[in-house]
Amino acid sequence: MDFTLTEEQRMIYEYGNRIAERFDHAYWRTYAEKAELPQELFQQLAEDGFLGLMVPEEYGGSGLGMMEMLLLIEGLANNGVPLLNLVVGPTMTMGLLAKHGSEEVKRRFLPPGCRGELKYCFAITEPNAGSNTMEITTYARPDGKGGFLLSGQKVFITDADVADYALVVTRTKPRQEVQKKTDGFTLFMVDLKQKGVSKTLIPIAFPLPETQWQLFFDDVPLSRDDVVGEVDAGFRILFDTLNPERITLAGLCAGIGRFALKRAVEYANERRVFNNTPIGAYQGIQHPLAIAHTEIELASLMARKAAWVFDEVLPAGEYSNMAKYAAAEAAIHAVDHTIQCFGGNGFTKEYGVYDLYGLVRLLRTAPINREMILNYLAEHVLGLPRSY
Amino acid sequence: MKILVPVKRVVDYNVKIRVKPDGSGVDTANVKMSMNPFDEIAVEEAIRLKEAGVASEVVAVSCGVAQCQETLRAAMAMGADRGILVQTDVELQPLAVAKLLKAVVEKEQPGLVIAGKQAIDDDANQTGQMLAALLGWPQATFASKVVVTDGKLTVTREVDGGLETLELPLPAVITTDLRLNEPRFATLPNIMKAKKKPIDTLTPEALGVDVTPRLATLKVEEPPKRKAGVMVGSVDELIEKLRNEAKVI
Repeated sequence: MDFTLTEEQRMIYEYGNRIAERFDHAYWRTYAEKAELPQELFQQLAEDGFLGLMVPEEYGGSGLGMMEMLLLIEGLANNGVPLLNLVVGPTMTMGLLAKHGSEEVKRRFLPPGCRGELKYCFAITEPNAGSNTMEITTYARPDGKGGFLLSGQKVFITDADVADYALVVTRTKPRQEVQKKTDGFTLFMVDLKQKGVSKTLIPIAFPLPETQWQLFFDDVPLSRDDVVGEVDAGFRILFDTLNPERITLAGLCAGIGRFALKRAVEYANERRVFNNTPIGAYQGIQHPLAIAHTEIELASLMARKAAWVFDEVLPAGEYSNMAKYAAAEAAIHAVDHTIQCFGGNGFTKEYGVYDLYGLVRLLRTAPINREMILNYLAEHVLGLPRSY
Repeated sequence: MKILVPVKRVVDYNVKIRVKPDGSGVDTANVKMSMNPFDEIAVEEAIRLKEAGVASEVVAVSCGVAQCQETLRAAMAMGADRGILVQTDVELQPLAVAKLLKAVVEKEQPGLVIAGKQAIDDDANQTGQMLAALLGWPQATFASKVVVTDGKLTVTREVDGGLETLELPLPAVITTDLRLNEPRFATLPNIMKAKKKPIDTLTPEALGVDVTPRLATLKVEEPPKRKAGVMVGSVDELIEKLRNEAKVI
C-alpha cells in the first residue's frame, strides 16, 4: 500500500494553491454574495485543461479518473474556493458521458465541454422524488416518430441558468408498467434553450456562486441521439454519476474544513485575551481544533479510498457514502469550532468565517442526506432490516 | 538557442517561517516546499522566448537534495523541455551553486542563462552574478524586460532613477525581477507531459566541483517584533522625530 501521490497527482492537487494566488477566497465570496458563477475562474480552468480532466484525450480531455478530479476539487477547496459547478458539470455529467455516451454523444458534447464553450448540469431531484428516486414521474413518452416528448418537473437543479444542457433522469416507462421498479429509466441530454423548457430560481439562504432552479419540461422534443446509455436501462448507470458526486463533495468538504482550520490556527496564535497568552494555548481551543483536524483527515482518506475503488471499477457505494457522511460532519465541526475560536469576529463579514457555514451545513443534507446514508450503510453494508 | 534556467527548491512563500529552537537554522521538517518565485519568472521568460521562436530548447537545472526533482517537474509542467538534477545532501551556498552551474553550462553550451535574481529563503542575490563572473559572460541583473534580436540581448532594468537599458552580446546571464512577467499556471496537459520528460541526474563529484561550504552559519533568529507606530500631527513633527529620535536625517 502506498499513500504517496504521483507527481502528476500532486501537481493537480496543488493547482488550487496556484490558482488561489489570482482567484482566492475573497474572490469566491464576491461571487457567492452575488449568486453568480465566477466566469473568469472557469475560463482559466478551461484554458488550463481541467474541465476535461475525466474526458478521454480523443474528445479533448486528459483521460484521468475520479482520483484526480477529487484532488482538483479538494485542492481548490483547501484554498477556500469550493466549486460545486465542477461537481455537476465536469464530474457528474461529463464523467458519465465519457463512460456511457455513444460515439455521437461524446463527439457532440465532450470537446465543447472541455473548452468551456458548453456547460452542463444534472437533473434528477423532483418535488416528490428526492431521497426516493423510484418515484420520479418526469416522463419521456414516444412521439410516434422514433423520438420522445419530455414532460415533468425537476427541483434543486444546480446552475441550470449557466448550463446549456441538462443531463435529465426520466422515466420512459411509468412505474406501474414495469416489473422491476428500477426498470424504465432513461438519461437524456436536454437542450435547456429549447421550446418547452422553463425555469424558476430558488433563492438560497446563504452565499453561494452556484444557483438552484426548478426546471419545467412541457412536451420537449427529444431524439434517440439525445439518449445517454440505453433506453429504459438508465438506472444501471446512474450510480456512475451519483458516487462521483459523493466522492467529490467529500473532498470539497475536507478542503473547506482545512481552510477553516488554517484560519482558526492563525487567529488562535495571535489573539490574546488574558495575561498576554494566545488563546490557542488553551485546551478549550486546542482540542476541538485537533479533533476537527483528525476528522477532516480521516474523511479525506476515505474519499481517496472511494475514488480509488471507483477507478478500479469496484462497487463504490459503501465508501462513497461513508466519505460523504464523514466529510460533511467533519467540515461542519471544523467550521463551527473555527467560528467559536474567532469569538464575535467569527460572525463578521470582515473575518469571512461564518460565510463557509451555510455550504458545509447544506452538504449534511444534500445531495443525499445523512440519514439516507446511514440507512444505506445499516441495511446494505451491515445487513440490518429495512423499516421503510 | 538553448536556454538554461536554474530553479531552486525553497520553503513555500505562504509558509510562516519558524526558526529551529537551537537557532541553527530554519525548520524545514514537514514544511511545504515550492519553486523559488523568481525562478518561476525565469522559467516563464524562457518558455516565452521559445514560443516566440527565439529559443529552441529550455533546460531546467536544480542543485540539491533528491526532492529537487519535484521542482524540476514543476518547471517541466510549465513548459521546460527537460531537467538536470545535480544531487547532493550537502548544504549548498551561492558560490558552490554558481560553480555547479558553470560546470553544467560547459556541458550543455546554452546561449543564455536566465536565473531568478535571488531566492526567497536566504535572499543572497549572488548566484547569477557569480555564475556570470566565473563564465566570463556579460550579465544583466534585475531584468524587467528582455528582448532578443539578431543575436543581441536588450534588457531593461528598474533602477532608482528610472529605467536602465543594457545591450549585451550572447551568451549571457540574466536575473529576473518581479515585474518581468506573470508566470503561467501549469496546464493539465502539460502536467501530464511533464512526467514523460527526462531528468538527468549528476553529482558535484561527477562535475568535478568542490561544494564544501565556505561560510558558517553562527546563529539564526527571528526578526524583532515591530513596535506599534505613532501618528504625527504635522510634517514638521515628522521631520523633528526623524532627525532627533530616529536620527536618520
